[in-house]
Amino acid sequence: MTVAGKPLSAQAGPVQTNRPATPNRGRLALRDLANGMNQHWLWRAMAMQDIVLRYRGSVLGPLWLTFSTAIMIAAMGFVYSQIFHLDPERYVPFLTLGLLVWQFISSVITDGCSAFMSVQHAIQQVRLPYTVHVLRSVFRNLLILGHNAVLIPIVFLMMGHGIGWEALMVIPGLVLLCINGFWISILLGMLSARFRDVPPIVAALLQVIFFVTPVFWTVETLGKYRHVGDFNPLFAAIDVVRAPLLGEPFAPYSWQIVGTMTVGGLLVTAVFFSRFRSRIAYWV
Amino acid sequence: MASLHLQDLTVEFPIYQANGRSLKKALFSAPMGTNLARDAANRILVRALSHLTLTIDKGDRVGLIGPNGSGKTTLLKTLAGIYEPTSGALHTQGRVSALLDVQMGMNPDATGRENIMLRGMYMGIHPKDMQVHVEEVVEFTELGPYIDMPVRTYSAGMMLRLAFAASTCVEPEILLMDEWLAAGDSHFLAKAQKRMEDFVQRSSLMVLASHSLELLEKWCNKGLYLRNGNVIAYGPLAEVAAVYQQSLAET
Ligand SMILES: Nc1ncnc2c1ncn2[C@@H]1O[C@H](COP(=O)(O)OP(=O)(O)OP(=O)(O)O)[C@@H](O)[C@H]1O
Ligand SMILES: [Mg+2]
Repeated sequence: MTVAGKPLSAQAGPVQTNRPATPNRGRLALRDLANGMNQHWLWRAMAMQDIVLRYRGSVLGPLWLTFSTAIMIAAMGFVYSQIFHLDPERYVPFLTLGLLVWQFISSVITDGCSAFMSVQHAIQQVRLPYTVHVLRSVFRNLLILGHNAVLIPIVFLMMGHGIGWEALMVIPGLVLLCINGFWISILLGMLSARFRDVPPIVAALLQVIFFVTPVFWTVETLGKYRHVGDFNPLFAAIDVVRAPLLGEPFAPYSWQIVGTMTVGGLLVTAVFFSRFRSRIAYWV
Repeated sequence: MASLHLQDLTVEFPIYQANGRSLKKALFSAPMGTNLARDAANRILVRALSHLTLTIDKGDRVGLIGPNGSGKTTLLKTLAGIYEPTSGALHTQGRVSALLDVQMGMNPDATGRENIMLRGMYMGIHPKDMQVHVEEVVEFTELGPYIDMPVRTYSAGMMLRLAFAASTCVEPEILLMDEWLAAGDSHFLAKAQKRMEDFVQRSSLMVLASHSLELLEKWCNKGLYLRNGNVIAYGPLAEVAAVYQQSLAET
């Protein structure tokens, strides 16, 4: 027996030295990512459960998501096509796509802020890769986008808007948005866990950004200030998904901006995540 | 071959939200808190575990004992890999199953059966693999028709039955349990104890925190007495229990 640290028997004897060295932080962060990817069934199931449980017992279930977006599109489509004197057949498809993608981006960002804090209980009780929580949050929003996307063919049919082969470009566009959502959620999730002021600041900013980003108004209306819109990263993010579906050319810098954000963001997040990953359990 | 090896392991919680000034004043007259400290940046720290070096081997059933705030839960969470040590190292061999909180991974609106799957998922078991065990878990809980009711209708003891049965359906190599067994009735406790002993006999180990010496004497063969994050005694349960009772008598 050991009393107050003094070994009385062989039990606490000399420390073995042939133990493997603890891997460095970068390796641990990579392993976290690899394990998170491996357990894709886990975060997919969690994300689906999030949606199912939110609507358990309601009549329409997750179709409420689609329904409320439809109402928003109908109302905004009517009002703003009048205000801007635009042809609804062109404006409503534009608005639909803009709103869907904006909702996706903004809810990925707000959910990203709570990616770790909202699962504080799980983080404190069971060891899971931290990336699982982030992937769950991004995937949940992708599922919601999927529910809303039902509206696209409906709106296009009603407005007599066609669709071409260039629409396939939405696939790389969406993939890039998801990758960006992934790093933003890690970064904001960690910052929010450590500094509780981050979520309200982000929420306030998003509200402003919605109105100053060409979501429901076109970048052309900026006239000679058009470049202000073209260089807005959120516009670029919307554009890479919206333009191909509308069959329109991309804004001049969209892919460059989104590409740069993806690479730059991943690098910054890699450094940050490696450095502070092990602190998340202490912060939440 | 399960084993846990702690080497000079320290866990410290920085306190960010506390009112710095009044807490700093309190530091000078801390009654309970000999484990309150400050770091280099003058932030307040709770040193929940202080330079622990010890080994837990296969076949060990360790009972963790110590007053409130002595670091039992923190030690279990560190062994489970939830808190990475602030300094020092932890070497783990074997698959860890931690039963720290009965509610973990449970959804009150889902049925008992659904929650078995959920808990399995949180333990990293694919639903397909978990499916095989469901009937056996249901049987072990002896919950009868309640198994298809939402768990919000369960009593604490029923919840414990479900959680214990689900968490131990895939044989754990390292089983960590915080003191929540108390809610079980004696029939279930006896059954759970039998299951545990079978596991431990087949090359696994267990660490169990409890305030009840009586319970530890039934379940454990070794004791670990913690106080303020320090190991006061570690060894055969009877000896550690004697040290513990002596120090209780002194205060
Ligand atoms: N998340 C946390 N943040 C800050 N301090 C913490 C945290 N968790 C535990 N502590 C501190 O660490 C110390 C040990 O706590 P712990 O929960 O491990 O005690 P315990 O032995 O399990 O107590 P009990 O018998 O009451 O369950 C306490 O001083 C506690 O205040
Ligand atoms: Mg405790």
